[in-house]
Amino acid sequence: MTKKRCGRRLIMYEIRNVLGNPFVYMFGIFFPILMLFIITKAVQADVPESMIPQTNTAVFITMSLIIPMAVVLLGYSSNYSQELEKEIPLRMQLFGFSPNTTLLAKIIAQFAVMSIGLVLYTIVAYSTLEMEIPRPGAALCLIISLLLLSGIFFALAHGVATILKKFGPTYAIMMAVYFGVMVLCGMMGVQVEDLPEAAQKVAALFPMSYITSDFAGFWTEGNYNFTPLIQSFLFFGAVSGIILLIALRRERREVTEKRM
Amino acid sequence: MLVTIKNLQVYYGRQLALEIDRPLEINKGERIGIIGSNGAGKSTFVKTMLGLTSYKGRIQTELKPEQMAAHLQFNDYVSTMSVRHVLETLLDTSISKNSRLQELITYFEFEECLKKHYKSLSGGQKQRLTIIMVMMQDAPLTFYDEVTSGLDFETRQRLMERLLKWYEGKSNTLCIVSHYYEELELLANKLLILDQGKVIDYGEKETLFRKYCGNSIITLDAGEEHGRLTEPYRKLEAPSHLIALACRGKTEEEDIAKLLIRNNVNFKRSSSDIEIMSINAKKAYYQERGNGGVDHD
Repeated sequence: MTKKRCGRRLIMYEIRNVLGNPFVYMFGIFFPILMLFIITKAVQADVPESMIPQTNTAVFITMSLIIPMAVVLLGYSSNYSQELEKEIPLRMQLFGFSPNTTLLAKIIAQFAVMSIGLVLYTIVAYSTLEMEIPRPGAALCLIISLLLLSGIFFALAHGVATILKKFGPTYAIMMAVYFGVMVLCGMMGVQVEDLPEAAQKVAALFPMSYITSDFAGFWTEGNYNFTPLIQSFLFFGAVSGIILLIALRRERREVTEKRM
Repeated sequence: MLVTIKNLQVYYGRQLALEIDRPLEINKGERIGIIGSNGAGKSTFVKTMLGLTSYKGRIQTELKPEQMAAHLQFNDYVSTMSVRHVLETLLDTSISKNSRLQELITYFEFEECLKKHYKSLSGGQKQRLTIIMVMMQDAPLTFYDEVTSGLDFETRQRLMERLLKWYEGKSNTLCIVSHYYEELELLANKLLILDQGKVIDYGEKETLFRKYCGNSIITLDAGEEHGRLTEPYRKLEAPSHLIALACRGKTEEEDIAKLLIRNNVNFKRSSSDIEIMSINAKKAYYQERGNGGVDHD
């Protein structure tokens, strides 16, 4: 018997695992599209006709954030915490898959499903709504930001699920983070600049706030000061990274103790 | 020698969950039944062997953890996954290209289950899924921890028959944890008796039986009259509803049998009753250590 590697079969298994969660379809694919249509329809009445493509684009950028949040942050944390509860990672280990191999397959699967969701969302938006065509650089900025966010969300979700090892508390925390971030980062109809000052200060710590407020401004033309966005990425990434490190250290300690 | 265990101690917090103070050897091809009541340390033994718990002491083996296969008490998989994908992924093979896997699927009449999602399987089907995967690993050392618990009598019987037949003539070493003594009578040639984390005894099934019960035993229903009738004979420790008589030889066995037949008393004769043997092993163990109390139903 040999140790098994992260091959096509394991990755496909993990993709099926992600897609087996109905919330991924509901919140990761249908919900952002639904929100896109509802909000664009609602704001169209208040803006001049010439501004409609710009407004639609701003809503499109904002709602695109829901995809990594729903698929990775909520979907992965709930899936993985349930797996931990049922000791499925242990069974994978007993069948020759090391924790690192399984983790790699899970990361690839999450990015694959998130990307599929994003492509579908973009196709629906650009084929049904009047949208601005982005400069390649601006589109790339959004794609990179969403991929970076997915990585950070994965670290946070994996860390919290690994520490708590229970579906209930993990789901409760992730739901609170999900809705908290949606409210703070302007995804629930109230823009960041309209929030109370204290809330704005908290919102400034999250990259999502800059994406919802600023990305539409340089979608087709103009310059943008990336410093606050990068700082927020570093901060949010560091917090999630620390949580993940604590989780992995605890796991490693347990494994070390087990082999005394 | 496949595995040698020396001075092993496993603690859960401050509680000693398992202690193996005398060297315990597991040899190639042995079928070891592990018995004991709840909390005896049976599952702890399995997990320790698999490297899943911390321990003090030594487990000497050339086997790596991935060379051991295990059917644990709880064997869950992703509930929304189809059984085919669980099988193919965990075994890293394709059913259509693996004749050995096809053989096992047919052997366990599992073809229909392949299309189902894991959550739709019945208890017996779930057990069969893990058994197929564990057998496919064809590991030199395989653990079956309460493989038939929670199954109805008929399913249990069928599963055991198949397990027995599959391993017939094979050199894999099996460690089988079970509460069902009749399963161990069929499957095991050695027994490891555990109680409250201690090794009560370990050895060949027949040797242990002779050590604690004699040549054979005769059991009959407990009752005042039966008690009086069998008074002259040596009684063994037995569950409260039974009287167990130890027969030192053929003559004594025949005497008892004649007496019971004459008095129209139903009885059973056995030379391999694991339940009575383990109860008396426990009694002897605690008496030796100045604690005669043995609880049994």
